Amino acid sequence: MQDYLISLLIFTPLLATIIGLVIPARAENSFRWLALAASLIQVLILIKALQVYSFSGGLQLVERQNWITLNLGDWGLLKAEYFVGADGMSLPLVILSVVTILIAVISSWTISNNVKGYFTLLLILNAAVIGTFTALDFLLFYLFFEFMLLPMFFLIAIWGGPRREYASIKFFLYTLLGSILILIVMIGLYVSNRNPLSTEIVVHSFDLISMTDPANFISNAILDPNNTWMIGPLDARYWAFLLLFIGFGIKLPMVPFHTWLPDAHVEAPTPVSVLLAALLLKIGGYGLLRIAYPIFPDAALHFSWVVGLAGVISIIYGALNALASKDLKRLIAYSSVSHMGFVLLGIASVTAEGIAGAVYQMISHGIITTMLFLIAGVLYDRTHDRMIANYSGLSSKMKSFTAVVLVAFFASMGLPAFSGFIAEVMVFLGAFKSNSVNGLLHESMAIVATLGLILSAAYYLWTLQRMFFGPFHLKGGIQESQITDLNTREYGMLIPLVILTILLGIFPQVLMNYIDPFAQYFTKLVLQVGKELTFNP
Amino acid sequence: MENGLATPLNAIRESIPFFIPELILSAGILLIIISGLIRKNNLVITFIAFSIFVSLILLLTFTWNDAAKPVTLFGGMIRHDSYANYFKLLFDTAALLTVFMTWRNKKQEHLSEYYALLSSVVLGAHLLVMSVNLIMVFISLELVSISSYLLTGFSFSKKSAEGSLKYFLFGSVASAIMLYGFSILYGLTGTLDFSSAEFFKGLLTIQSPLFLISGLMALAGFIYKIAAAPMHPWSPDVYEAAPMPVVAFFSVVPKLSGVAILTRFIPAIDIQGKSGYDWQLIVVIIALLSLTIGNFSALWQKNPKRMMAYSSIAQSGFLLVGVAAFSGEGIHFMLFYAAVYLLMNFVVFLYLQVFEFNGVTTIAAFEGAGKNFPWPMVFMLVALISLTGLPPTSGFTAKLFVFSALWESYSVSGKPLLLVLLVFGLLNTVVSLFYYLRIPYYAFIKSGQSPLKTNNLTFENFLGLILVLAVLYLFFNPELLMGWINKITFVR
Repeated sequence: MQDYLISLLIFTPLLATIIGLVIPARAENSFRWLALAASLIQVLILIKALQVYSFSGGLQLVERQNWITLNLGDWGLLKAEYFVGADGMSLPLVILSVVTILIAVISSWTISNNVKGYFTLLLILNAAVIGTFTALDFLLFYLFFEFMLLPMFFLIAIWGGPRREYASIKFFLYTLLGSILILIVMIGLYVSNRNPLSTEIVVHSFDLISMTDPANFISNAILDPNNTWMIGPLDARYWAFLLLFIGFGIKLPMVPFHTWLPDAHVEAPTPVSVLLAALLLKIGGYGLLRIAYPIFPDAALHFSWVVGLAGVISIIYGALNALASKDLKRLIAYSSVSHMGFVLLGIASVTAEGIAGAVYQMISHGIITTMLFLIAGVLYDRTHDRMIANYSGLSSKMKSFTAVVLVAFFASMGLPAFSGFIAEVMVFLGAFKSNSVNGLLHESMAIVATLGLILSAAYYLWTLQRMFFGPFHLKGGIQESQITDLNTREYGMLIPLVILTILLGIFPQVLMNYIDPFAQYFTKLVLQVGKELTFNP
Repeated sequence: MENGLATPLNAIRESIPFFIPELILSAGILLIIISGLIRKNNLVITFIAFSIFVSLILLLTFTWNDAAKPVTLFGGMIRHDSYANYFKLLFDTAALLTVFMTWRNKKQEHLSEYYALLSSVVLGAHLLVMSVNLIMVFISLELVSISSYLLTGFSFSKKSAEGSLKYFLFGSVASAIMLYGFSILYGLTGTLDFSSAEFFKGLLTIQSPLFLISGLMALAGFIYKIAAAPMHPWSPDVYEAAPMPVVAFFSVVPKLSGVAILTRFIPAIDIQGKSGYDWQLIVVIIALLSLTIGNFSALWQKNPKRMMAYSSIAQSGFLLVGVAAFSGEGIHFMLFYAAVYLLMNFVVFLYLQVFEFNGVTTIAAFEGAGKNFPWPMVFMLVALISLTGLPPTSGFTAKLFVFSALWESYSVSGKPLLLVLLVFGLLNTVVSLFYYLRIPYYAFIKSGQSPLKTNNLTFENFLGLILVLAVLYLFFNPELLMGWINKITFVR
């Protein structure tokens, strides 16, 4: 069945971009309303899509069109498709994207410098993010994936803070490096892959779903699972997995490839930080779940301890850095590194709980980190100062703001009744269970990772104590008159997020209905195929 | 005796119908010179040049199907086939774009000599891509080179003369080396026709180091034309010295003609894989060197022309990746790359010229250009992104294609160096991003001074729009060009 809902989601912002291009740059407000309108339309389309989607799992809302068909002579046919769809992992991420982008647009209302350019880039980014989460053709995925880089680069570089130039270039180079690693694997995969439906002529397709079936590889091709092709000490498929792992790991970000993140986050304007943390990081986790694991299950099982270890190191190292941060935004950025580590740990366990936890953590972190960056933005808008040490006793002047901060910090810490709790508990369940169920991760990894929880409690509580409690005083030339409580627009952004994180903390079933079938299916696929390939090479 | 003369005469008579484009060019060159002598009307001369290239493009397009069957002309001197035709089309398109660019440069002096030389380069390039005879290769290569030396000097400044002389000195050494290589090859095989069975047989029996040395010497001449490492050092100086349209022209026509003849010549000395020396390895090394040297040297450049010179060295590396695959597909993809390279390079140079008119001659001077010249900067950004090789531009598609061919070649032969080229070639993209983004970086991110009021409805923007649309269109629909290229049968 052909469905057009996902295409509508992707192309609505692009259409708005085109409309925006003909509006003269002087009409600044029209761009704000245009972006908002695009986001609101997307919400409506999404509601319709959710009605159509059934919880039974599997790919739905699928749309398939031929895109590029190239005759390559003796080589056969190259075939790329416009192939989009959603399953239990991508749909929650699409929901997250639509919501976060809506909030980011509202948060961008105060941008006053080159409004036309800003909102044009934001709209392009919007389309690219949703495209990345729904593309099921590798070339299409790669197109959207790269398409995000340029708008993001300019958004940081033009509207960012004092060190924006350094931060934006660093962001671009790191991410491009990651995407080149992914590109190498993409080339290898499509050359090695053939469409099973056509028998007489070899069709090299980019179809991500058909690549998960080992039978669809050309025998004796480099990445053919039934054939060992050694490059140095490792099988070519192992190398390919490692390339993908690093490529998506840079995006995630995973220690030691995370150093672009604190810079980019600190320098980016608030709405861009929100998008970066809430959505772009998730593409790393999404890529592992959509591409690296299902296509290279044998390598994934072989390297699961590496993935798990990278997760644990990210959790601890990110938390330690957050503890040492003097800048509020930097603290939040490092807490992101720490929390995305849980995603890695959950994925590495390849248990239904772990995978579901990882996806849940992506959504939960998306919501919570949006809140956190908005909080930092609220403070920065008023005082243009983010140094933790310059504030004390804010709770006496900003009562409602402090309440929101409490919710956000507690949610991020993983306290029960907030979404972070559910996600982290499931990841731990998976990580502990892994050794007895499939023997991939040792329990010690989960035990060490729990330290991350304690550390996160430490840095959040310490920050609360330093900034919000105690006697009220300010340093660094901040005037008392600048400290005012939340305004209506800020309430409008933060309150829905507070409700969401509590809702997902108390009724996880709302999201689990989507995620659970995916987690079951994914675990079965990776374990079964992976073991088959490992034992009969 | 009668018969002895009649055969070559007959051969010439039969060859003429296939030689019309070159005859048009030769007649055109004469016409330009004559009209320059009679009346120094720049518009007329420009119009003649314009009509030459337009008619050539039309002629080549409409006789495209005639070239499907390769014909050897003039007693084994040149070969008329679709492979050569494709390159000729690219040359003529590049020349036409150069005419447009020169037309916009009102200050260009000595227009009739200028266009005569330009057309001579094109004529030389035409002949070079058709050549299957070593003497013919040398003559046409010299026609390209000597006209190029002169064109470099057409800014008539001290710097320009210096660049011209440097080009000449380097060039004559390279030509001499190449000629020496040719002479040894002739000595080894007893024939000048490198597509003949005799040539293969001769080389097969002699697998001595002399063969390797002579082959390398011959390659040196081609690599020099391509501006690939290690024969690249002339190009930044020449690019800096020459007028902008000439630079744009140099970055495409002589380079592609060099790649074209290299692609014809390599299989001959590789003796269809039976050579005792691994020529594939040599091409891989040249490609790797060009990529690395070009990209890393471009990082430090402050002058946009010099930066583009190093960029074009790196781009030669990417073109050679397609050749290095040593497969029919690799060559097809290289042809695709060549067309895309032409488009994106001309967009960049078109706007570099616009900015040069506005007094912007260093990369730092682009500060604020994004505000003052929104259209040119956006178009240039697209072209630079395409040169980097990011989607959604056809530069990405072209890179994807050549590297796919390389991967396939690796999976067939298993030579580890091919994998090294694949990985390092693609990683070079990250390096190249850094310098390709520098102009947009200054233009959009550094805030400039007072905004100028500029007219967006210029000829350059119209031309640029067409080229940019082509660059983007070929990403979404590469079948259009590839369908055409696939019909080219590359005969060894």
